[in-house]
Amino acid sequence: MSTQIWRGADLMMRSACCRTIRSPSSEQPGAERTSPSSALTHRNLSAVAVQGQSRPLCRYDSLDLGEVEENVRRALACKKIRHFIVNPDLAELVTQHLRPENGRSVIFECNPGPGVLTRTLLNAGAQRVVALEGDKLFLRDLQELEGRLDGQLEVVHCDYFKLDPIGVGNLRPPVMYTDKLFTDLGISEASWTDDIPVKVVGILPLRNERGTLLKMVYALFERQSVYRYGRVELNLFISEKEYLKLVSRPGEMMQYRAFSVLWQMACDIELLHKEPWESFVKSSKQRMPSSKNQLPNEHLCLVRLRPRADLFSGGLTPTNASTLLMMVKQCLAKRKVKLIDRLNLWSPDSGSKLLSEMGMLEDILTGHVYPEEYLRLFQLIDKSQEFTQSWLYEEILENPQREGWG
Amino acid sequence: MSLLRVCAFAKCVSRRTLFDKCAVRVSPADRCPLCVSTRDGGVRRISGEAVSVVRRYVIVLSHDVMVLLILPAKLHLFPVQSRTSFCNVVYSHWIFFSLSVLKARIQQLQPDVVLDVHHANVQFVKAPSSGRGVSSGKGPKVAPKEKTDIPKSGKTLKKNKLTKEERLPQKIQKNVKEKPSGKSKGSKKVGTTAAAATVNPQRPEEEEEDVEVAAAACGDVQLSIRSYLEACVFAGDVERAHSFLLSQHRVRSRRKLLNTDFYNIMMRVWAKKGTLNQIGRIFILLEEAGLKPNLGSYCTALECMGRNPGCQPKLITRCLRQMEEDGLSADDLFSQCVFRQDERDMVLKAVHLVQPDYKPRLHARAAQCPSLVQEFYTQRADHQYPKLDFTQEELQERFRQQLRLEEDCTVTIDSVEAAKPVTDHMAKMRKLLADHRAQWQKILLQALRESKMILANTNTKDYRLNLYPYLCVLEDREYVDIMIQSVASLPPSGESLKILGRDLGHRVYTKYCVQQKQQNQVVEKLRNIYNAYTDLLAKDTKECIVLPSEYWGRLEREQSSGPSLQGGETHWPYIVSVELGIYMVDMMVKNLKMNSDVLNPAFERKLIPILYHMYTFRNTRQVGFIKPHPILIQMQQDAMESKLTFDSYVMPMLCPPVPWTSVKFGAYLLTPSKLMRTVEGATQHEVLLEKCQNLLPVLDSLNQLGNCAWSINKPLLDIIISIFNDRGSDKLDIPPPLSEAPKIPHFNAQDPAYTSAEKAHMKRDVINAKKKCSEMHSLRMDALYKLSIANHMRDEIFWFPHNMDFRGRTYPCPPYFNHLGSDVTRALLLFAEGKPLGPKGLDWLKIHLVNLTGLKKRSSLEGRLEYANSIMEDVLDSADNPLNGNKWWMNADEPWQALGCCMEIANAVRSPDPTNFISNFPVHQDGSCNGLQHYAALGRDVIGATSVNLMPCEMPQDVYSGVAQQVEEFRVRDAQSGMKIAQVLEGFISRKVVKQTVMTVVYGVTRYGGRLQIEKRLKEIEDFPKEHVWDASHYLVRMVFSGLKEMFTGTREIQVRSMHLITYMFSSNKPPHSIHLKSTIQLINLQISHDAKEPDTVKQKNAFPPNFIHSLDSTHMMLTALHCYSAGLTFVSVHDCFWTHALTVDTMNKICREQFVALHSQPILRELSDFLLQKYCTGAEAKNKKYQEYRRLMLLLAKVPQTGESARSRPRHCWRGPTCRILPSPNCTEGDSYVLKLRSEGYQDDGGCHSVGFLFPSRFITASSCRLLFA
Repeated sequence: MSTQIWRGADLMMRSACCRTIRSPSSEQPGAERTSPSSALTHRNLSAVAVQGQSRPLCRYDSLDLGEVEENVRRALACKKIRHFIVNPDLAELVTQHLRPENGRSVIFECNPGPGVLTRTLLNAGAQRVVALEGDKLFLRDLQELEGRLDGQLEVVHCDYFKLDPIGVGNLRPPVMYTDKLFTDLGISEASWTDDIPVKVVGILPLRNERGTLLKMVYALFERQSVYRYGRVELNLFISEKEYLKLVSRPGEMMQYRAFSVLWQMACDIELLHKEPWESFVKSSKQRMPSSKNQLPNEHLCLVRLRPRADLFSGGLTPTNASTLLMMVKQCLAKRKVKLIDRLNLWSPDSGSKLLSEMGMLEDILTGHVYPEEYLRLFQLIDKSQEFTQSWLYEEILENPQREGWG
Repeated sequence: MSLLRVCAFAKCVSRRTLFDKCAVRVSPADRCPLCVSTRDGGVRRISGEAVSVVRRYVIVLSHDVMVLLILPAKLHLFPVQSRTSFCNVVYSHWIFFSLSVLKARIQQLQPDVVLDVHHANVQFVKAPSSGRGVSSGKGPKVAPKEKTDIPKSGKTLKKNKLTKEERLPQKIQKNVKEKPSGKSKGSKKVGTTAAAATVNPQRPEEEEEDVEVAAAACGDVQLSIRSYLEACVFAGDVERAHSFLLSQHRVRSRRKLLNTDFYNIMMRVWAKKGTLNQIGRIFILLEEAGLKPNLGSYCTALECMGRNPGCQPKLITRCLRQMEEDGLSADDLFSQCVFRQDERDMVLKAVHLVQPDYKPRLHARAAQCPSLVQEFYTQRADHQYPKLDFTQEELQERFRQQLRLEEDCTVTIDSVEAAKPVTDHMAKMRKLLADHRAQWQKILLQALRESKMILANTNTKDYRLNLYPYLCVLEDREYVDIMIQSVASLPPSGESLKILGRDLGHRVYTKYCVQQKQQNQVVEKLRNIYNAYTDLLAKDTKECIVLPSEYWGRLEREQSSGPSLQGGETHWPYIVSVELGIYMVDMMVKNLKMNSDVLNPAFERKLIPILYHMYTFRNTRQVGFIKPHPILIQMQQDAMESKLTFDSYVMPMLCPPVPWTSVKFGAYLLTPSKLMRTVEGATQHEVLLEKCQNLLPVLDSLNQLGNCAWSINKPLLDIIISIFNDRGSDKLDIPPPLSEAPKIPHFNAQDPAYTSAEKAHMKRDVINAKKKCSEMHSLRMDALYKLSIANHMRDEIFWFPHNMDFRGRTYPCPPYFNHLGSDVTRALLLFAEGKPLGPKGLDWLKIHLVNLTGLKKRSSLEGRLEYANSIMEDVLDSADNPLNGNKWWMNADEPWQALGCCMEIANAVRSPDPTNFISNFPVHQDGSCNGLQHYAALGRDVIGATSVNLMPCEMPQDVYSGVAQQVEEFRVRDAQSGMKIAQVLEGFISRKVVKQTVMTVVYGVTRYGGRLQIEKRLKEIEDFPKEHVWDASHYLVRMVFSGLKEMFTGTREIQVRSMHLITYMFSSNKPPHSIHLKSTIQLINLQISHDAKEPDTVKQKNAFPPNFIHSLDSTHMMLTALHCYSAGLTFVSVHDCFWTHALTVDTMNKICREQFVALHSQPILRELSDFLLQKYCTGAEAKNKKYQEYRRLMLLLAKVPQTGESARSRPRHCWRGPTCRILPSPNCTEGDSYVLKLRSEGYQDDGGCHSVGFLFPSRFITASSCRLLFA
């Protein structure tokens, strides 16, 4: 019993030293919300401000969002299971979180559909929006809009979540490779510590949320795919259930998984907004995902995943990152095993030394270790001589590529 | 004694209170379930008190025992038939296998209904339990006292079952207690019978099936309990078994899982000990549980009486009388019970005490033969069954060898690598390994003993199933040997935990089974019967026109004394063997260690584990893996140990296999074998198979295939081994050793000299090299096993016992080396018996050779023969100088078989008289039952039939070329209209590109799969531009499908229709049920999708057509096999490729053709449709929610696909035409690899396959059954 309390206290203490995730607190979101009219003036102001420096803005004061009914009808015509933002207020809210009017980031909008959010973004003064639409159905209207503007909007037939497929075969849109997309858009590779070059906004496809998230975080650590071009910031609607797993903390043995650790390690995670499922238009008649387990799943959560600038400063490099990925995955395959056992497997007798260096208890469980601690642990291991003898260390080189996607 | 009285008093008090409460409430019209529940509540309180009073004396007094006291213990009013008996009742002769499967399926499709009925049944079954307190230790003594109490309290109730007075248990009780006073009153069952009778509806026939479905659902648990009990008993741990049974019995929820057989297990133990009173107690328990004693129960009682020298005859008389009352006779006893050791003699002894001149009458089962084979069984005058070329004595000696082999369970043989010289390093490594093994053995033994000790003592809850008894069935040493053996055979890349666990568990099970047979003294009897059985096969005995299964059955009836041969052992449930295996793996992972510096002294010395448990990740799933340490791998590879240890069933048999005489008995002598290969855990299949009545023809054809004797082609084996031990050859399909593998590049990831791109590149190289290495290793090991077994058998003559899958496709049981294997293994096999070539034999050999080369596909037989004669020079050269000549044979499609054929031809040609040349060489003939032919025949489709050689035609028609032509036409058209991909494809469309897809279309290949196949073919074409492969394959697959549509009008329609059908039939889909197995090492998720309540709709849909066609295929094969047997031919099959001696090719072809016609003269589609209509479209009433769907289904089913005009113009006519010959083609050689390929691509997966389980026997049986039903 006493050890339990001990452990609890220890956990709390350590969590205090660790960076915490910013959770939806009182500041959020109503306080930041501004009225649509002010947004409009905002746009106009910024239009004045930037005039002359960059390209000219469109002649129109404000783009017409279209009738809601009409947009709903168009969204429903889509044959795939997708969610759409059609409600102008919702679009407005998302826009405010993105703050398109300041900063020089390009905004990638994934699967805009009828384009309500696209127009709202442009109205709010976004200077460069790239609409990546995977469904031909919406392409024509978007391209028509693109033609009416002065370059603030670019439309590409591309599905963001299907970038860089691992299979072979000849590609046809909407599947494509990142380098083609970025080269076409004229975005060049940037250093990791530079400003955020691209903000991505969209709704994570429901079909394989976890797989997509895992694939993206692997790419992030190895700085492949879009992350070759710098710290791409994601602003995604994720189902509440997955979000809760994503931000789960050590000790929540059911939810604390490898992908939560990796994302928390790599990014500042911020919950921007929670919106009930009903606010979105859904294109297929399939049932809403019901929450069968204990986690609530009533909302879609707008989550900002901003990669940390200092991620690669402490010895982690894109080359050895695969080992880190493997380490985390191996450790968290089972959360109720002792960390020391796992470490000893890799290099006999080294576990207790490492743990004491880390200042952790001997009997700490893998599910009780914070993401930051895993990172530090890895850095220690990476420096240690003993681990170079470990065959498992070699073994793990191969795995993420072969089987790790998804 | 005084204590007992207290106890009895307490009970009686409680009972009175109970009665006071209930008697008021329970009016005759009261509802039974209701009264159960009210009483239940009341009693719980009362029994609480009671128990508190008597706790010290009565171990447990379960509340429901007391409740049931006042309920009618009337099993007899409305007989609840035990599961065993109603099987026979319901499934009368025309209800065949299929029907029961589909019935089960229907039930499952209506889960609500089933649930309700099931619920009702439970109530019903539970209610009529008799009331007598169970108390494990002192119960029986208490019981009589209770009985005397009953009349006092139960006066309000009528006693109306006087006939039940003479129940056996009471008698035994009384006998034991010698207290006849309580008898007449005591055994009165107190009954609110009237009430119960009205409440419980008369049980309609159909409900029995519901019980069955429910039974199937809890079948797994039952199986677990049963195997647990048996393992306990086998290990001699009677105490544990007994207390376990009692603990199950005590709690109502667990008790309902028990059936009479479970109690019988314990009775059997007591019978061995001769303790009649214990048996009496169990009879009481039985009654209390509302179960009826069955044959087995009476059997043990009689056995016990037989063992007791002082047993009174009147006791036996009573027992027999009671059996009669229950509708059982002494003859049933001897014909149906399974006896072990001397049980039978004891029972007989007991019976003789009262009926001195009694002789059991045993009847042969009168088997109903389906009309398709009726003639075969009834008119045997001109049959001449083949004899084996051995004397009786030889066969008996072979039997002894095989028996020894199987008793050992494992066999260690020299590997073919043993021929290599031993270097110093090798010797050192071998020594090192041997030392380590000895040490590991000690450690494991120690660990096993410790963990057993812990398991035995910590298990506080005795109703829990744990592994302890399973760890006691063998000697500790044997477990350790199994573990050490598994370390030796672990592949370097590791093995998934689940598979490793399963294998270990299976090994323990096999050994346990063999030892069980020894303990039951089966071996001696088996020897006697087998020795007599050799009469039938040996050449020095007289001819008799009896089939092996019939003969064996007759012998078994004649020599009926001693233990029964069949049906003794219970399968361990899948989950148990996996759990046991994982337990052992865990022990190995934790305990097996070695020093890290054994190979490289430079390393720091640490004790490191040799096995590691880690995870690999596939999609979102993580798979537990056991990986060996690289040092261990290094040691093993360097040592190159020259001994291989196999399980005994891996080897071919040294004597003719035991004929299959029932579902449970056949093939190996002692090793358990399955008649039907099923996916692990699919118990429902087994249940259904056992129900299936008309399996006789199937069994006989399996016996026929198994009876073929084989030998090794030694010259060829020597050549192959020499290449294998040299450097292998990819071209000739001999896998090279690992020394030929690409070196794994080493690089330091931290080295700053490399750029990141270079590092990524190198990483990829490493991965590829590793992958290549592990592939090569597994190929090499596979070849090593095969060749080593062949080498071990080089001077032997051997047999392959056969079994089949759910569609009736037959397979040899030994897994590595058999005639279904690759070109190499096939080439190694010869018939043991030689026959002269005869007048046309040489020609057939030559044609066979041409077929093996893969050339001249479109030539007629004469053309092929001509071609063969024109290349004789090459043939002779190949035979004489296989490795140094001009190597003509190496370019054949099947080089090794071609080489073998060359040698045979050379020998024949050079012999003085080729017609008398004795040849052992098997000649292959394509059974021509490829799927399209069946479809064409089913649909009576003329153009289609012509192109698959079903219609008479000068030249062999080649459907593949036909389709290729058709596709080419489409392509030209598209190319002209400017389609780019069609232009790119110019000149690339060939027969080869489309062949696989065309072939698999009938097996339900989808566009997706078809595209992959074509993609593969296109990639093989070197000058085809790689960047177009994807587009081109996409385009081509579309063209192939439309090409087929043009050619086969009716065919595809049949397929589409059957697809629809399945979709409708199984239009609901639930996830498979999975079992979570929590082991210390890892949570294992056993997906038992094949026993799921609902089948997987998509899989069903895709699987139906291929399975249907495969079962037609296999039926045709079986028919051919049977008739070949009756004609005295040697016949074996590789699915649709039939093998026989060159002499008998013509006869076989004739039979093959006749049987194809016979099969398709049956109105197969009509029957299928009628059958499905019957099953699915009756009884669906309007109230059913799915009514609309049923209606649609009905309309669909009623419409049998239109059969084309040929049906009318040539009824009952060979579709090949009277003059047509079956054209041999080398298609057959693709047999198994092609099946494997299909399987790996998932096309013919049986998809939760119970529903398709009906396919295979129905062919034999539908014919007759439907005649009965619809004539």
